[in-house]
Amino acid sequence: RRESEIHRRRKAERMVGPQYDLVGNPLGAVRATFERAAAAESGGRDPVAAFRSKDWGASEVFRSFLFEQGGLDKVPLLDASNLGLIKPNTLVRFRGMVQDMLGNEFYAGAFKDGSTWRTNKFTDFSPFAMPHPCDSHLWERHLFHCVPVPGQNSWTLESSPGPDLRQMANCLTPEQREKRKRDGDDDAMDVSENGNGGSSSCSKKPKEDDVQIPSSSAEMPASENVPQMNGNDHHIPGSSFSCLVKIYDMPESQVKLNDVAEFIGVYTFDPELAAPNDNSDDIMFDLIEDVTAQLPPSKVPRLHCLVWRKLSSVDFLAKHPAVEPLPSLLKGIRQSLLSHLTLVLGKDDLAANCLLLHLLSRLRTRVDVVTVGRLSLNFTGFNRESVSIFGKQLNTLIQGLMPYSQAIPLSIEYLNTATLQPRKDNKSGRLVTGVLQLPQGAHLTFDETLLQSGSLASKGVENTVLLKNLMESQMVEYDFEYYKLEMATDVQLLTLSEGKSNILPSDLVVPFRASTVSAVNATSEELESWRWYLATVRSLPQSSEPEIYQTIQDEMVSAMRNDRSLGCTELSRWLTMAQITASSFGEKSLSLEHWQMAKELERLRKERMQ
Amino acid sequence: IPLFPPFPPNPLISLPSLTRVFPPRPAAAAAAMAAGTKTVDYAAERALAKDFLTNFAGPHGEPKYQNILQDIANRKIRAAQIELDDLFHYKDVDEEFLQRVTENTKRYIGIFAEAVDELMPEPTEAFAVDEDRDILMTQRVDEGADGGADGTDPLQRMPPEIKRFFEVYIKAFSKVTPLTLRQVKASHIGQLVKISGIVTRCSDVKPLMQVAVYTCEECGFEIYQEVTARVFMPLFECPSQRCKLNKAKGNLILQLRASKFLKFQEVKLQELAEHVPKGHIPRSLTAHLRGELTRKVAPGDVVEMSGVFLPMPYFGFRAMRAGLVADTYLEAMSITHFKKKYEEYELKGDEQEQIDRLAEDGDIYSKLSKSLAPEIFGHEDVKKALLLLLVGAPHRKLGDGMKIRGDLHICLMGDPGVAKSQLLKHIINVAPRGVYTTGRGSSGVGLTAAVQKDPVTNEFVLEGGALVLADMGICAIDEFDKMEESDRTAIHEVMEQQTVSIAKAGITTSLNARTAVLAAANPAWGRYDMRRTPAENINLPPALLSRFDLLWLILDRADMENDLEMARHVVHVHQNLESPALGFTALEPSVLRAYISAARRVTPSVPRDLEEYIATAYSSIRQEEAKSNAPHSYTTIRTLLSIVRISIALARLRFSETVAQSDVDEALRLMQMSKYSLYSDDRQRSGLDAISDIYSILRDEAARTSSMDVKYGHALNLISRKVQSLPTPTLTGTTIAGP
Repeated sequence: RRESEIHRRRKAERMVGPQYDLVGNPLGAVRATFERAAAAESGGRDPVAAFRSKDWGASEVFRSFLFEQGGLDKVPLLDASNLGLIKPNTLVRFRGMVQDMLGNEFYAGAFKDGSTWRTNKFTDFSPFAMPHPCDSHLWERHLFHCVPVPGQNSWTLESSPGPDLRQMANCLTPEQREKRKRDGDDDAMDVSENGNGGSSSCSKKPKEDDVQIPSSSAEMPASENVPQMNGNDHHIPGSSFSCLVKIYDMPESQVKLNDVAEFIGVYTFDPELAAPNDNSDDIMFDLIEDVTAQLPPSKVPRLHCLVWRKLSSVDFLAKHPAVEPLPSLLKGIRQSLLSHLTLVLGKDDLAANCLLLHLLSRLRTRVDVVTVGRLSLNFTGFNRESVSIFGKQLNTLIQGLMPYSQAIPLSIEYLNTATLQPRKDNKSGRLVTGVLQLPQGAHLTFDETLLQSGSLASKGVENTVLLKNLMESQMVEYDFEYYKLEMATDVQLLTLSEGKSNILPSDLVVPFRASTVSAVNATSEELESWRWYLATVRSLPQSSEPEIYQTIQDEMVSAMRNDRSLGCTELSRWLTMAQITASSFGEKSLSLEHWQMAKELERLRKERMQ
Repeated sequence: IPLFPPFPPNPLISLPSLTRVFPPRPAAAAAAMAAGTKTVDYAAERALAKDFLTNFAGPHGEPKYQNILQDIANRKIRAAQIELDDLFHYKDVDEEFLQRVTENTKRYIGIFAEAVDELMPEPTEAFAVDEDRDILMTQRVDEGADGGADGTDPLQRMPPEIKRFFEVYIKAFSKVTPLTLRQVKASHIGQLVKISGIVTRCSDVKPLMQVAVYTCEECGFEIYQEVTARVFMPLFECPSQRCKLNKAKGNLILQLRASKFLKFQEVKLQELAEHVPKGHIPRSLTAHLRGELTRKVAPGDVVEMSGVFLPMPYFGFRAMRAGLVADTYLEAMSITHFKKKYEEYELKGDEQEQIDRLAEDGDIYSKLSKSLAPEIFGHEDVKKALLLLLVGAPHRKLGDGMKIRGDLHICLMGDPGVAKSQLLKHIINVAPRGVYTTGRGSSGVGLTAAVQKDPVTNEFVLEGGALVLADMGICAIDEFDKMEESDRTAIHEVMEQQTVSIAKAGITTSLNARTAVLAAANPAWGRYDMRRTPAENINLPPALLSRFDLLWLILDRADMENDLEMARHVVHVHQNLESPALGFTALEPSVLRAYISAARRVTPSVPRDLEEYIATAYSSIRQEEAKSNAPHSYTTIRTLLSIVRISIALARLRFSETVAQSDVDEALRLMQMSKYSLYSDDRQRSGLDAISDIYSILRDEAARTSSMDVKYGHALNLISRKVQSLPTPTLTGTTIAGP
């Protein structure tokens, strides 16, 4: 068996290229590069000092393996379903949103074992015992608490499946798994001449390991639930799957709160150390709480990040059609999407047009307090019955089109009870998430028809203020107990209501008039092309042509003279609509034609308002 | 407590062993020291420290540290604070020594403590020997003299800590800008750092064992164990020579009264909101306060703390679990509460230089006012008024105890959506102490103050409202017209007497509310109704209105130029994704704050010859009012005070000790402009014939000053004040030079 195993690995190495099985034993490669780099620097008295917060070439090896040699597909995707199945100290991927930033962790990054320097980078446990006392360097790494993106729709999970781990794992008997593990340790020893007994902690207790795994996976939501993440509540801390990502050598500003990113790195887990402890020796120090202690490793896996990248909605598309977004192509898809939207909205052409613009809107920039590019939409004229028909269809469609979306029933009870505002819990030192902690580009649908007259408690008032702020300035206030911080968001907001919503003042109010009810279903190919269309159009750049803007400016001034009620917000909305119209046709710059179309749309809307 | 083995100046760190007992001089330290680049002669350092403590002279030539030591010897104080500022100014201290102190602070605290030990003078005043420790010490010294203890055993030798009844702190440079929590990195470990933050949590103050003292049942010796880690393993067997020789295994008994304890408190600091980069969340850091530093902070305090940034290794099981990770904390050396008042604002870095440069610039008045809320277009005079509100005038206390307020009150009135709230928020942002609230304040306390029942103790407690909280600052009240009736009556008192009186539930008191009120109100019918009189539109009683120095109406008037400007702005923003260039570079809020705080230190006076001028101007306003049949202007004696206040604020801006006539002119102009903004119909009525108006103004002025020359700038000022409707372009130099 061992021979075949070695054979298999050799084959893998030949295929992959590098010396080590980067997926199965990433730490081996890390150590090898470290030793090579340390040897190159050995002239100095302290060769390792140069490696503080610097990559010595390890990340580079992985980067080229993952993105240049197509290694990305071989890396399993870590999620709730396979947490217990993935072997510790292997390479995994995790896709999620940065929910909390836990600050820095100081660790003994390098230490001198006799005459050799060793590194502890990218791992929680040193395979080598650290002599005491010894020369060592204290380095730092950033801790991020990452969760699956709130409201992530199931189709995004299909986009980048890893190798089927379940099958891989199932065909291995426990002995084999243990065996393989030993092999992994052998690897580690291969690269380090005197891999001593220190590594025993990893391999000595396979029994405990096996016991631990089923118990931990049992606590996870059953794997069948995973595709329906939309329904799960991600807002109760600890109720769902999360991952503690440790990032190295990174300028701090790069990862921001609520960023959606893919982290590729070493998954570490040691059942021996994961056991709960009773903190009995810490009675005295009640403020030195270790935040990570609240995230037990058996539930919250640790990922030592080697390579990471931010994800945009394009990255969630199933396949990346290497098609140039030509206007002619986009026009066709636009037409098919628009006609589908019209059908979904009961043949209301105007509403469909507005919805298309709304779905394509994105926050382009923020100038002082003014936001440019957002287009929140309010469909009025809904009642409970029509919401149950059209609202449902609309939600299904949005779930199929947008990577992350949520539908919120806006009732008095919801407003009075829901936790919308993320809040720092100074006792636990963690950020307690709220419904409004959302990634950039999320979509929210509010159903206001559920609202009845009643009284709002103080929490309800706070919640409405939060929602109003989000609507008006795309800002969410996070509560840090002694002060509040405003976080910029980019969320698309759709409101379905009976009359014009005052709690949620939208940019565009459209009275909804459906004429027919028809059940419509889109094929998966259609959905795929629409997703591609939405993602592409939203990322299209906009160039500015001064001439057309001069014309627009003149038209605005004359419009204002005719209608004194026009203000900054209206003018701004017109321009936003015109610009989105232009991009919806795949045009990179605004033309007079699109301006006219937007104006026509606005005219029809005004007519209907009266 | 991890009295971490003293750090050598290089960043090499020895990690702790897992044993729970730390002998007084861990071998690790020696090893680490030997590994250092150069060995520092600590004996020489101690000599230098002694020399410094003996010879350093304070600002008045007094031996500063000698005095401190004497106070310690007399048991008046318990802390010796060594200031780096003093070290820096001491002649024999070179930069390298300073650097060693800041980079290896923990070790140098020990060195200074030893130096203090050696220099400790005899007490000059009698103090009661009432502490157990003192009695014990006397006994110990006696025993030591008997030669009972064999000095060879480290555990029997008395550690210096137990003899000390003082603590040594090293205080960081006061002028250094504190780091944000984010800037404290691994490279700062072992170093003295200064940080700023807000206290979010405080633990109880607890005793922390510093030296454990045991007595042996067999030999009777006192055994000392220095506790340097967060946990320690008590000794059970007597380690003394006698017991060892006798193989007696003497049973040790921990003597709690003889042991030395320190007060100990843990505090959690959180990064200040302004230090958090966009898209990040605030960091936090634990600080350990000991001895005299405990109980100095409470949650919510904004503090500057200097201290040594140290790693705290995990112990026992956690050490194994966490493997190689170290927690860090700040061992506090000094705590300063953040100053929020203008008067206490300390200039940092090159701010003094920037202020000087700005002051030289003649156009500082408009430059500063333009930099207020630069994103809000126009409203130049409003912004000028707001700048003067920030600057204010000094309070006056007359001989008979009467107080005259110096704070300016301004009320902005206007249609919804004319950026009133934004202006308010911006002003609060610039002011070092400002409270923003709405008339319909959501809290139960409201604007002024309230007596509330404490839910736990059932006692009545007095809680200050927004106006009290804004004492010595600015209180911005949005939706002033929607204020509750109770607050409205109370605000009369606040605005003139600047106090809040309370007589409720047996509590009768008066709270200070020396605050400048900046109010914003909507017209009575939501929008300003042109068909009604201003008095009808302003939904506030005259008694309240007269308390405002300036009242401004910002209307959303139909105006071709404004429309064009708005369209241009919107188009520009959408086209280029940035705001159009302002045409000038706005000053940073921090610079504004520094300038204003510097200006507020000036106390200008009104020269005698100007008194007449102001009086004439006031009486002419009164006369004009009497002549006109507009019943809606309220020129009272308060107006006269306002003129003086605004003039003084203007003089402060120039850093001038006296008020000039130009200041009074500008004050009058502002008041006039504020009036015009209210009574727009006045504009149409005045100026039947612009040219003859100008002539008459010039003639009056010439007569008043009995001179044939009227300066152009002066004339312009006068004219713009009186004839607002006159289009300025016709005022050319030649037309005026004629008469």
